[in-house]
Parts: sequence; structure tokens; C-alpha cells
Amino acid sequence: MKNQASIVGVGATPYYFRGTSAPQTVFELIDHAVLAAVADAGLKLSDIDGLAFFAGGFDPSMIMQQIGLDNLTFSHCVSGYGSGMAGMLDLAAMGVDSGRAKNIVCIGASQNVGKRYGQALGMLGLTPDGVFHAIAGLGGPGQAMALMVRRHMHRYGTRREAFGEIVMASRIAASTREGAIRRKPITLDDYMASPMLADPLCRLDFCLETDGALAFVVSSDERAADMPHPPVHITGAAHVGVRDWGRAFFWLNQSEDTFTTAGAGAVAKRLYELTGVGPQDIDVAMIYDHFSPMVLMQLEDYGFCGAGEGGPFVESGAIRLDGSLPINPHGGHLSEGYIVGMTHVREAVEQMRGTATNQIKGAKRALVTGGPAPVLMSGAILSNER
Amino acid sequence: MSTRSITPDLSAFEVPMDVWSEPYWHTAAEHRLVLPRCGACNTFRWPAGPFCPECRSQEVEWVAPGQGRIYSFTILPVAGPDKDAPPQVRIPALVTFEGAPGVRLVSALIDAAPEEVKIDALVEMDWLPAANATVPVFRLQNPPPV
Repeated sequence: MKNQASIVGVGATPYYFRGTSAPQTVFELIDHAVLAAVADAGLKLSDIDGLAFFAGGFDPSMIMQQIGLDNLTFSHCVSGYGSGMAGMLDLAAMGVDSGRAKNIVCIGASQNVGKRYGQALGMLGLTPDGVFHAIAGLGGPGQAMALMVRRHMHRYGTRREAFGEIVMASRIAASTREGAIRRKPITLDDYMASPMLADPLCRLDFCLETDGALAFVVSSDERAADMPHPPVHITGAAHVGVRDWGRAFFWLNQSEDTFTTAGAGAVAKRLYELTGVGPQDIDVAMIYDHFSPMVLMQLEDYGFCGAGEGGPFVESGAIRLDGSLPINPHGGHLSEGYIVGMTHVREAVEQMRGTATNQIKGAKRALVTGGPAPVLMSGAILSNER
Repeated sequence: MSTRSITPDLSAFEVPMDVWSEPYWHTAAEHRLVLPRCGACNTFRWPAGPFCPECRSQEVEWVAPGQGRIYSFTILPVAGPDKDAPPQVRIPALVTFEGAPGVRLVSALIDAAPEEVKIDALVEMDWLPAANATVPVFRLQNPPPV
């Protein structure tokens, strides 16, 4: 099957600080994003015949009724929560490449009204398998991931200064980004003064909780030729589960060599094999930054440095806008907004179109990662060259 | 004077159980810790579940896992009973056991001074009453005098 799927349209709502998108419903947010993405692709709603989701998805019948979407021949959801985000692009590419649908809209949204993503472990409810986290006092993903981060620091000598650098780089990027929620640069002193929420993670290591929706139209290279924007090719997307990462921070029983990672090693390997691309070929990387240490650990998993070398790599300045591997030039989840990874795809598209706020000159290939979380994990490489 | 980690009040906490985890809780009621080991291939698994993921056997032996040791931990601020109360901390600890390779148990480390909690520190078990069960928690073994 020919690899011919590309992102041809992008739409997004504003990014709202958690809870402030009311009285809009999450479906109204999605409707806005879909309509904007379809318009950006120069298409009519009647051209849309497929939907793709992750993180459990959203009821397609509601979306069809609300915006008047008449016919679908494809509507599917990949497994995983934020972990499956980039796998949604794999799904959409499969739909287009196989001819199941012509123009597929990928949809992701979050709304923190009456609930908070930061308390997701509590939201799962108590089960015979999950009760131990509750007894221990691990109420949110960041609290559980703190155990992995401390072990990384213990094993490799990773310093909090490295986590601080990730937050500082993110804030510098967001400072010029309209619509980003946290735009004031911080110093290392500010970082060190931030209160501990789950030692060794301080408040500034936790990403935002944001309301909003984004949508991307995926179509074929051939149809893209008639559309307003140059296509952003889905060079490859991988969606991979390995048992030793398994339920991630819900489990905490990974082998030592996996416990001190972000669980992305297998997806990185498959993504590089699928695309024939290596870490040296990536010009800009959108790394899922729900918690700043997970950026450092993903950089190791994706081979930008060796296992345990993420701290020195980051502290060298490599991930800044002018560094050897610019990370999250939009400010990422730490500073721009957190809509379960979708904002990273938008930034990758803008970087590949050459229209990004903090454009990386000459960037030809972008990496987008799904979030370190229960399998399946995912990642994608997007490019403005086929 | 340091603030020692809290002992959570679990007296109203209902522990959900299933047929595979019940032996763990029945033994905990006698203040004994046991972990599940495959009856066919001797691989420990955690949490308890219907199959050995190595050999697919459903036979389980419950085994006393021996000496516990801190593998990792975090320190969480806890709101005091009122706003003038001194800040408190809760310490979730992930613990490995000498006699149960490959598995780790997470629970609260109680009555510990945060500055004394280190990776590789030895722990002993303690037991707290919950609504329908007895819950295993950890204490530092022979903590230095405060």
C-alpha cells in the first residue's frame, strides 16, 4: 500500500485555562476546531468522509448532527490515552492509503469542567488492581511518575537543574506565542523556589490543564495538490505496545532498565525502521511534556542521547530554539497548553509549512511523540518532503 | 524538629477485592505479607491476576517475600487540619523484597522523617485498619534516633 497520506488542514479553538471554556460543551469546542480545519484545507464539509480519534474518542453521531456532516465511511479510535495521540495519525493514514475514506478529520479535545486531568488516577475509581496507589497516596499521574523520576536521578545522577532547563526553554518559546497560557520567562532560581508537589517534581514540572479542541484533515498527496497549503506528509507513524512498559505508572513493576525510561524505546525503534529516518535526521521535535522530566527521558528513548545522558544533554542548551535539537518551539504542554498532545501536531504542521511562531529555519522533518502512559505508545514523523 | 510522614486514616476506606487478590488481604488480616508466585514456573507477578504472564498457568502460591527495601519514593505535601497547622507530608514508597524478585509493592511509608528516607533503606511492615480489611504499610527499619 502506497504511503501517500498528508495533513492538509489544521483547526483549533483558543486554549482556555482549565474550566474556563464553559458554557461551551466539549462538542461545541470540537465543532469549532473541525470547521476551522476543513476551511483551512479549502474543503467543504461534504468532502469529509472519515473521523479518527484517540483517548477514547468522542461520539461521532453528535458531531455529525451538530455541524451537519452528512456521510462517513470511516470512524475509528486508536487505543491508549495520550500515549496513543500520534497513533491517531497512523490510523488516519491507514484510512486514506487503503481508500476507506478520502478526507479524514483527526479530532482531540479536553475540557476540565467538573473534573481535572491531573487527578486522573482518582478518576479511574478503585479496583482490586488499583487500590495500592490509593493506599500509598498516589492520586495523580505526576505523583506516580515522581517515583520513576527519582529512580532516574538515583541511577544516573540526573539533576533538578535539567528539569528546570526544560521548563525555562519551554517558557522562552511560549513568550512569543500568541494564545499560550504561560508566557513569562522564568529563571533557575524561580524554578528552584517552586513548591514541591511530588518530590522531586515541583509545581513548574507539571503541565497545564487546558480546555480546547484541535482537528487535522488528513488526505492524499494527490488531492493535496489542489488545496491551499503545501501538504505535510505523514512520513510514518508507529503505535507500539510492549509488556514491560505495560500499564506504566499505574503498574510500577517495570524492569529496572524500563522503569528509568519514558517507555518510548520500542516505538522509537519501530518509527525509525518504518521511515528509514534516524534521530540525526530530525530538525525539530515536539516531545510530549506532561511532566518536564519525561521530556528528558523520551530524548533518551528516541536516541537523541544515550540512556542516562538526558540530563547533561538538556543542560547543554541543546533543546533551546537555537540548540542542536529545538524542542517544542510553541511552548508545549508546560507553557502553551495541554490538550492531550494535539497542540504538538499543530506545531509540527506549522513548522513544516514554514509558518510557525518560532520557525526553525529550513526544518524538513519533525518528530511528534505521544505521551508516556499505558501502552500502546505512539510517535510520528512529519515532513514537507516525500 | 522535622515533620514525620503521616499515618493515613483508612478506617472508612473500603478495599475492593477480587478472587485473585483475596488471599493477599486474608493474610494481611493476620499481619502477614504474602505475594503471589506462579505454582508452575515460580515467577512472581503483581498485582495478582488470573494467569502467570510467563507460562499462562493459573496455579498460585502465596509466599512471604522477606526483607523489604525502598526502590523509590516521593514526598507529597498534605493539607493540615486547619490553615495554621504545620505542613504535613505523605510518603508513598515503592518497595522491593529480597525473596520476591521482579515485583514491587507501593504503599505509604509512615512515621518517617523525610530526610531519613533514602533509596535502598530497609523497611519493615506495619498494619492499619481499613473498613473491611487490614492494610500493609511500611516503616523505616531501625530508624536513627530523632
